[in-house]
Amino acid sequence: MGVNLPGVGASAASGGILGPGSPAFLTTKIDFVVNWSRRSSLWPMPFGTACCAIEMMAAFATDYDLSRFGMERMSFSPRQADVLICAGRVPYKLAPVLRRIWDQMPQPKWCVSMGACASTGGVFDVYSMVQGIDTIVPVDVYVPGCPPRPEGLIYALMMIQEKIRQESLTKHFELRAEDPARAARPRASDTEVGALTGPFGNSTQQNQLTGGVEVEAARGSDDLIL
Amino acid sequence: MTPPDKSGLDAIEEGPVPSAAVGPTVAGAPADPSGHPSVAALFGRFGSAVLHHGVSAGSQHVVHVEPARSLEILGWLRDDPAHRYDLLADVTAVDHGGGRPLEVVYQLWSIPHRRALRVKCLLPLDALEVDSVVGLWNAANWLEREVYDLFGITFRGHPDLRRILMPMDYAEGHPLRKDFPLRGRFSRAEQTRRALAQDLEKFYTPHDIEIGREPQQVTLPVPPASGSQGPGAES
Repeated sequence: MGVNLPGVGASAASGGILGPGSPAFLTTKIDFVVNWSRRSSLWPMPFGTACCAIEMMAAFATDYDLSRFGMERMSFSPRQADVLICAGRVPYKLAPVLRRIWDQMPQPKWCVSMGACASTGGVFDVYSMVQGIDTIVPVDVYVPGCPPRPEGLIYALMMIQEKIRQESLTKHFELRAEDPARAARPRASDTEVGALTGPFGNSTQQNQLTGGVEVEAARGSDDLIL
Repeated sequence: MTPPDKSGLDAIEEGPVPSAAVGPTVAGAPADPSGHPSVAALFGRFGSAVLHHGVSAGSQHVVHVEPARSLEILGWLRDDPAHRYDLLADVTAVDHGGGRPLEVVYQLWSIPHRRALRVKCLLPLDALEVDSVVGLWNAANWLEREVYDLFGITFRGHPDLRRILMPMDYAEGHPLRKDFPLRGRFSRAEQTRRALAQDLEKFYTPHDIEIGREPQQVTLPVPPASGSQGPGAES
């Protein structure tokens, strides 16, 4: 037989990984392999609370078939999920539930905020509704629409795949750092929450200070955001 | 209300207009009590406790009764064989704003007589209390909790009067009242902080959560005795 060069270890008789005469092993970058495996087997945790969830179901069904992209299995247990898809409006009463589900998901994890309500509160600029789940959990991709079409959700998940592709293990833990002491605490600071949830459109006339409403209870602390 | 020269988007820019304070009653024009047998009987039996009678939406007879005697009147409507309002379709409340009294609305339906009746109690804002009707219709249990939660009306004698829709430790008041600001009383930051600080185990025991899963006792209709050929029996 000829020379046994590194990477050309296989003989014609035994065969390499790509057939006789081919290399028996390949070299690659660990980042590439890890990111490839992660982005090719994203398991979504569906947190569907409203009409967006119908479009999410359509995206998982045969016509759009998210399994093509590695979302092989809807994981109804957060402990075996990689992507939290929050589809629909989230009232304040549900906020601790969403936060706990997020805290239960193992690292690495990503979050898609699907639809106008999950991203901003949408038309529900009212007393009971979370004005964007980014005040509660970190969000990677926002999908606009009311509701978004399944193509929109697929595009969002492909953007997450692209995000994973660009990650590297040296920066990974920095990117994914999470302070356990801040679990079940607001994701954003008070100023950020105020800026994110400011009144807009028709609701500008209906903030906390109009209508002769008592605001003294809130004025005691520094959190009165107009 | 919106001035007549404003329309469409211009009117929207004005924002909501606080309701003007008007007279204490919001009842419509009185109607002929003889149009509905139960209304005529109510006037005959309870007299001055029946404050007003009107017809809404063509055929819906509305009776305003005195809150102090509402339990007695509703109990009579349920039990009297000539009326038998055995189905309580809804308990709700209306706040018309402007300092007007809150209305508690009982929507009744009589299955044997196929007849509907709407009974209302007007409660002034400084006396938001009325007798609970859970003893008459069990369906009122959660409905009265909802009215209590969203309007702050206390139901005397309710077995379990606590919030049902809003978080148990909600501190901003009763959201469906007209004086409640649309976006709540606290800032969004405070609302978010309070929401995330909710201690779910404090308000919901495992028994509460499991209660919907208790095995239901199903009573099947007794099959006809052997020998007699019932309509469903195989032959």
